[in-house]
Amino acid sequence: MLNQAMIEDLITAALSTGGDFAEIFVEDKFNTNIALVGGKIENSISGRDYGIGIRIFHGLNSVYAYTNEHEREKLIDVALQAAKAIKGTPGDFTLNLTRQTLTNQHPIIHKPREVEKIKKVNTMREVYDIAKNYNELISQVTVGYKDEQQRVQIANSEGRFVEDERIRTRLAIQTVASRGNEMQTGSYLPGAHKGFEFIEQLDLKHYSEEAARIAVTMLNAEECPSGKFPVIIDNEFGGVIFHEACGHGLEATSVAKKNSVFADRVGEQVAPSIVTYIDDGTLPNEWGSANVDDEGEATRKNVLIENGILKGYLVDKLGARRMGTESTGSSRRESYKYAPTSRMSNTFIAPGKSTPEEIIANTEFGIYAKYMGGGSVNPATGDYNFAINEGYIVRDGKIAEPVRGATLIGNGPKTLQKVDMVGNNLAHGQGMCGSASGSIPANVGQPMIRVSEITVGGRKGK
Amino acid sequence: MDILTFKENLFVKGAELGFSDMELYFQKNGKFSTKIFKGDVDSYNIAIDGGVSFRGIFEGKMGYAYTEKIDEESISFLVKEAKENLAMIDSEDPEVIFAGSEHYDELDLYSEELASVSNEDKIELLKKVEAECFALSEKISSVNYCLLESHDSEKMIANTKGLEKREKGNVVYIFVSVVAKEGEDIKSASKLVLTRDFSAFDPKAIAKEVVEEALSTLGATSIKSGDYPVILKNKAAASLLQVFSTAFSADNVQKGKSRLANKLEEAIGNSLITIVDDPFKEDGFMSRSFDSEGVATKRLNVVEHGVLKTYLHNLKTAAKDNVASTGHGTKGSYKGTITVAPSNLFIEPGEKSYDEMIAGEEEAVIITDLQGLHSGANAISGDFSLAANGYLVKGGKIERPINQITVAGNFFTMLEEVEVVGGDLKFALPAGGYVGSPSLKVKSLAVAGE
Repeated sequence: MLNQAMIEDLITAALSTGGDFAEIFVEDKFNTNIALVGGKIENSISGRDYGIGIRIFHGLNSVYAYTNEHEREKLIDVALQAAKAIKGTPGDFTLNLTRQTLTNQHPIIHKPREVEKIKKVNTMREVYDIAKNYNELISQVTVGYKDEQQRVQIANSEGRFVEDERIRTRLAIQTVASRGNEMQTGSYLPGAHKGFEFIEQLDLKHYSEEAARIAVTMLNAEECPSGKFPVIIDNEFGGVIFHEACGHGLEATSVAKKNSVFADRVGEQVAPSIVTYIDDGTLPNEWGSANVDDEGEATRKNVLIENGILKGYLVDKLGARRMGTESTGSSRRESYKYAPTSRMSNTFIAPGKSTPEEIIANTEFGIYAKYMGGGSVNPATGDYNFAINEGYIVRDGKIAEPVRGATLIGNGPKTLQKVDMVGNNLAHGQGMCGSASGSIPANVGQPMIRVSEITVGGRKGK
Repeated sequence: MDILTFKENLFVKGAELGFSDMELYFQKNGKFSTKIFKGDVDSYNIAIDGGVSFRGIFEGKMGYAYTEKIDEESISFLVKEAKENLAMIDSEDPEVIFAGSEHYDELDLYSEELASVSNEDKIELLKKVEAECFALSEKISSVNYCLLESHDSEKMIANTKGLEKREKGNVVYIFVSVVAKEGEDIKSASKLVLTRDFSAFDPKAIAKEVVEEALSTLGATSIKSGDYPVILKNKAAASLLQVFSTAFSADNVQKGKSRLANKLEEAIGNSLITIVDDPFKEDGFMSRSFDSEGVATKRLNVVEHGVLKTYLHNLKTAAKDNVASTGHGTKGSYKGTITVAPSNLFIEPGEKSYDEMIAGEEEAVIITDLQGLHSGANAISGDFSLAANGYLVKGGKIERPINQITVAGNFFTMLEEVEVVGGDLKFALPAGGYVGSPSLKVKSLAVAGE
């Protein structure tokens, strides 16, 4: 970490060519990654990321430089090199950095570096045993364990100076079920903004068995039919569909340059009135939470869509300049190697009134997606695609046979209009979200929802 | 602290802790990237970064640790963490620090000329690309990505067995994405051009290709579901091969994660299919004369006329199969452990041009773009079901653009059902390896639409 005088000198050097805003981001992060394959610990690697990011604005122009040099002269040199790209008129400015003390909203009990590696390994073995022994069709189980301890300093020419620590722990359980030449996979990847207590409190049996059960179920499933059907998407990681289909389109990254279908539509009805969509970086100890964003702004609860009406966007400082608005505490980055930009934290559809049982019972024929896989979206067009990891046919208001190989495709804003039931069982799932400022931990969430029609691609034909 | 002093001190400290063989992997990168938006410099990034990875053998096990902070304090951190890490390892596989290959090819991966191009010149060129895109058609509503990035990197492997290898490289690429709009219809297209020769960039040609592609997809609609003969255009075929190239890794084969297990010397595809891994390929993003374990690399036929000739090996997987390493020991960066990955891997191009392939079809679907490859494709089983865009071919001509479809099949079955291999080799965005393919005509795939 850098001392205050050093940071002040870097800001001064960064503004030497007339920039109107400068920011210093210092990161010191310890990582542990352990992999267990086929019952044996195959890899254990740990290390330290360390570096400094320097950002300068001049109106809407932005310059970003980063380095993991740590000596004074070299850092000042990087700041001056970055400043060279700004062609302004240096003005007078006085820098008064005031160190802000944060109240930690995400208390940690066991910091990862204070926990012996053997404890982490023992948990992984336990998970392996549960998943492997779930069923004789399980041919392979891989367990990944990951923790990170990130300390950051964020300071800028407006006088802000904060320090924060983000601690995250995650398990990745991946299974393969096979019969002859056929293989199907299952996975579960729970994580939190917590230390080792996350693992101690976790229901290992539930997560391990679910990962195994999905693979076995899919091995015994038929190919999914294709066509346009009502689709019921269950809670938790099911929220990924709206993360991709709507969330990304609400980020200033695409809204500010009017590359989003949601640009200039605040106040308009963009979804049925049963839909309320929220991004909340303050949820205690959740995977996508932090005390401050990566520009040092306090995180907050941002209501994006309320009862179907578009209320606002996720905005970072540069996006705010372009849009003539304020930051919403939503600026994030993977590491010092990325300039931060507007991103989601924990994003979810608020719970509605229907029970999951009612939703199923009200569906004559359709697809039930119990677990979603990943997907992607083209923010310019809103077109998305998603894999269903565990799917079923719904027939006569009942969950019937499992189906595999299903992909959902459609257009985000249009799908949003077709949500016709929202359940009452809100839950969150954990993911890594990749975009302009790198890969960051983000929660997706929702209760069970039903969409009246989505195009389902499967291999069975009609 | 300079890297050679760091290495000396590190090996001394490691020996004190009981490490027998040790290795230092060092990487240093310089980067410049810029984006243009509506004629202005939208972002301007510079970076100097790097890091070191230490690994060492203690009582037969290999321990790894890395750091980005190269200072005195890091030396004890690295050896202590590496020793803790190896104590967790169960694997009984023999571990080796490599003394070196007999012969290494010299590769010219660094262009002095490219290194001397100023950032201003790069920006000017990129501004031209954006301007050309807008000039070509009024339907181009935005150039939502207009990016240039140049990299230079230096890596070094040095170990206590006496190996010390260095390699330097640089590269520059442009990535453009345009949005075309007609009424309510919005379509986009993107293009990547990668080279070591800056003068090879032709802003007009880059703009023309990407704009024409976007315009040609306007008005796209879905088609009737059914089984269609399919022409997978080069970019789409390459992105598909990239996902399934993990099946060639001996590591995946040995761990029961590849459909190609026990298939050596057997036909796994149509005889038209030859798959090459060429670490010496000019303009290959993954070109290298030695791999991340210090093993000399060489050009290799992985599949020859449909027959699987070899898996891709690192030292460890090779020892298990009792063969020599093929030079595919790969470390994504100093943060990773040694895995197996291709260098520049591609399906060898055939004779027919893309246009000739189209002319030969009475009714077919051309797939130009596949989405959701990280989720809709199962690298182990070979099954895929992916969102796609493309064109409908009727009577040997492109009739209309199509979208909102999914295409599904099995990659391994598809290799057997390839009927024509085009001559238009193209590479996908580098991810792990740099993977390419020409356009492929496949007998039939399931398309879901209306």
